[in-house]
Amino acid sequence: MILAYITLTVLWLSLITYAALGGADFGAGVWDLLSFGYSVERKRELINRALGPVWEANHVWLIFLIVGLFTGFPSVFAIVSIVLFVPFSLVLIGIVLRGAAFIFRTHGLGRNNPITMIWSRVFSFASVITPFFLGASAAAVTSGHIRAPGGNVSTDVTGATWLSPFAITIGLMAVSLCAVLAAVYLSVEALHTKDEQLVGAFRLRAIIAGALTAVFGALGLLLAPSEAPILWNGMLAHALPVVIVTMLVGLATAAALFTRHFHIARVLVVVETAGLLGSWGISQLPYLIPPDVTVQNSANSPNVLQFMLIGTAIGMALLLPSLYYLFSVFKLPYPAPGVEKKEDIA
Amino acid sequence: MSDLLAARTQMGTSLAFHIIFAALGVGLPLLMCIAEGLALRRKDVVWMALTRRWARAAAILFAIGAVSGTILSFELGLLWPTWIKFAGAVVGPAFAFEGFAFFLEAIFLGLYLYGWDRLSPRAHWFCSFPIWISGLASAWFIVSANSWMNTPAGFVISHGQVTNIDPLQAMLNPSTPYETIHMILACYVATGFGVAAVYAVSMLRGKRDEYLPSDGLSEARTQSVGRRYKDEYRRKGLLLALAMGAIAIPLQIVSGDANARFLADYQPAKLAAMEGLFHTQTGAPLQIGGLADPQTGKVYYALEIPDGLSILAKFDPNATIKGLDAFAPQDRPNPLPVHTSFDGMVASGFFALFVGWLFWLIYFLRKRRVSENRWLLWGIALSGPLSFLAIELGWMVTELGRQPWVIYGYLRTKDAVTTAPWLNISFLVFAFIYVVLAITMTVLLLRLARSPLPKMEWDELASGQSQSQGEKAGI
Repeated sequence: MILAYITLTVLWLSLITYAALGGADFGAGVWDLLSFGYSVERKRELINRALGPVWEANHVWLIFLIVGLFTGFPSVFAIVSIVLFVPFSLVLIGIVLRGAAFIFRTHGLGRNNPITMIWSRVFSFASVITPFFLGASAAAVTSGHIRAPGGNVSTDVTGATWLSPFAITIGLMAVSLCAVLAAVYLSVEALHTKDEQLVGAFRLRAIIAGALTAVFGALGLLLAPSEAPILWNGMLAHALPVVIVTMLVGLATAAALFTRHFHIARVLVVVETAGLLGSWGISQLPYLIPPDVTVQNSANSPNVLQFMLIGTAIGMALLLPSLYYLFSVFKLPYPAPGVEKKEDIA
Repeated sequence: MSDLLAARTQMGTSLAFHIIFAALGVGLPLLMCIAEGLALRRKDVVWMALTRRWARAAAILFAIGAVSGTILSFELGLLWPTWIKFAGAVVGPAFAFEGFAFFLEAIFLGLYLYGWDRLSPRAHWFCSFPIWISGLASAWFIVSANSWMNTPAGFVISHGQVTNIDPLQAMLNPSTPYETIHMILACYVATGFGVAAVYAVSMLRGKRDEYLPSDGLSEARTQSVGRRYKDEYRRKGLLLALAMGAIAIPLQIVSGDANARFLADYQPAKLAAMEGLFHTQTGAPLQIGGLADPQTGKVYYALEIPDGLSILAKFDPNATIKGLDAFAPQDRPNPLPVHTSFDGMVASGFFALFVGWLFWLIYFLRKRRVSENRWLLWGIALSGPLSFLAIELGWMVTELGRQPWVIYGYLRTKDAVTTAPWLNISFLVFAFIYVVLAITMTVLLLRLARSPLPKMEWDELASGQSQSQGEKAGI
């Protein structure tokens, strides 16, 4: 049993990491879509440079989540794959088009080529629909409307679970959260390239998107008692402190942005993301797909979990230093071995 | 299309698309690692230019590989939920470990592709090692999962439940050593001949006017220096790629032979379908080519070598080989595509072996001069696509030869498919996406191949200057 919870914790931490890193890559696409006016080219340039080295590694967290889920909790993945066939397919299309479109537009045919322009649009639209349907799917799972008596389920074709008002709210919240993450990161990147104008632009965007996220979050909380009662009761029972801290961190992020402490805002917005996803996870325990699927009744046998966790520990021991190296070469100001030039990172 | 057929077609299309990028993802990093190592050791601009050009192609290829791999990981559940519940429980860790290997690959690829002007040349070169090593590891892990589908191990079924799971035994199932080695070698063969084919085509076309003028040189002098440079560039690209291909291909044929003999013991139905053997017989003939018609139980137009199959599979002309009639009709794979794919794969492999070795024979006989014989260059140009075709056909053999099972002997494909609706639409949408991706990618790669080579001063090439200049020029 303890192994199942450790596995779940590992998966949840991966989810948080994916949201904080991969989410920002989607958010950058959102801002790409909303870029207009005189500084469009510079914004796109900044986005391309920010995403280029890291988006593929960020994306792998999702793959790890999927394979970790079907190894740790095989029936959960099977059930959501059937019930949420439609939104998952849309997410998948979004993911594929986002990644391919990004590489096509950056390694493409020059800036003003029509093919580059088309792929640029595809990149930004795909960046919006993917987090939306991921958020909506998460809301569908938490709502308690996916019933799996004896593991038998059928596809929700009408969107009763994944296009409910609650799901739409959470989907929009996911998009705006991605947008906040991206705006905060991009303002730091702009700071490093000493582009004051873009710093200001992304700071403003971060604040607006942050306010929107708070609005959607509040709406989600309002809807939760009726739309996701198990989640709501679980939150009241054992996640209230986390929720309150998350709200305070949200306010602190806004304050850091107002006072132009961008590096602090970058840390806070990651904590905020961890708090949001963490409080969801804690509220929902012990259910994975409430009310029929729990951690206990869906976990794989302990020896497989143990085997996977040992492998995960070895994998992480290789992965985390490598990841730190990647980010220290491209994103962080600290020295790293083998790095020659770093003047554009303040 | 029935739902089952639609799901199988979508899965097959996804695999056929992804495997090309997966193979390049294993092979290309090794080429880059060797070329960059040679460049640094000899301070050789040509090797460096090659490395850089390959890296630019890799940026496009690997991104498509990453997203098409994501499609597959989702499709495991979206199309085959019953399968993933079973396979995830037993052999899921193989997928998880493959995830880690892929992770490391993506991290160091990011460093490698975008780190030219940030990392020291030596640090940059070091970053290429984790890429090819984890490419190798991810191929091993993922193919071990496929091996498990062919020779399931590491669990017990009691009262309809999967119990007593031993994930290590599942990963190290009987097929694993045979299948993983065969696939990894296939990656090196295909990448080697594939890259060689690019330079063979370029030599056949004889383009020589793609050199960026260097400062301080006259136009004519630039042209002549550039021409020599370009020739050298193509020659080195061809040599390194063909070295990899020509070393891997004989090993691959030995590995393939071992695989077939393994199948005779572990998956005789697959072997029977591969060889178009309808009836169990002693002294079974080897049937080369032809059409194995499951309706009539005959192989038409085949070249028959008496006792050939018995000798190959058991080293004994009188050995008994199981034919398809040893299995109940509902348990037989369709020999028509399996036999044809198998022969196509073998023929492609032998063609590559012949061309690759002929090239090296001529090369050494003529005192290390690259032959510009048009027939030989055409052969190399053809061996590239044929090597990739061989990978596709090999997977057809593995997957179609396992039918009607998805987990051999335990779960039938028709029982594994999802109950979700609209599978036809899903297939059409994804097929459309693949077509669009393939077209765009081809256009970009062709454009890259046609773009001028960077300047040839060592200092600039090694430090990343000309790369960014090229980018500013919109290359």
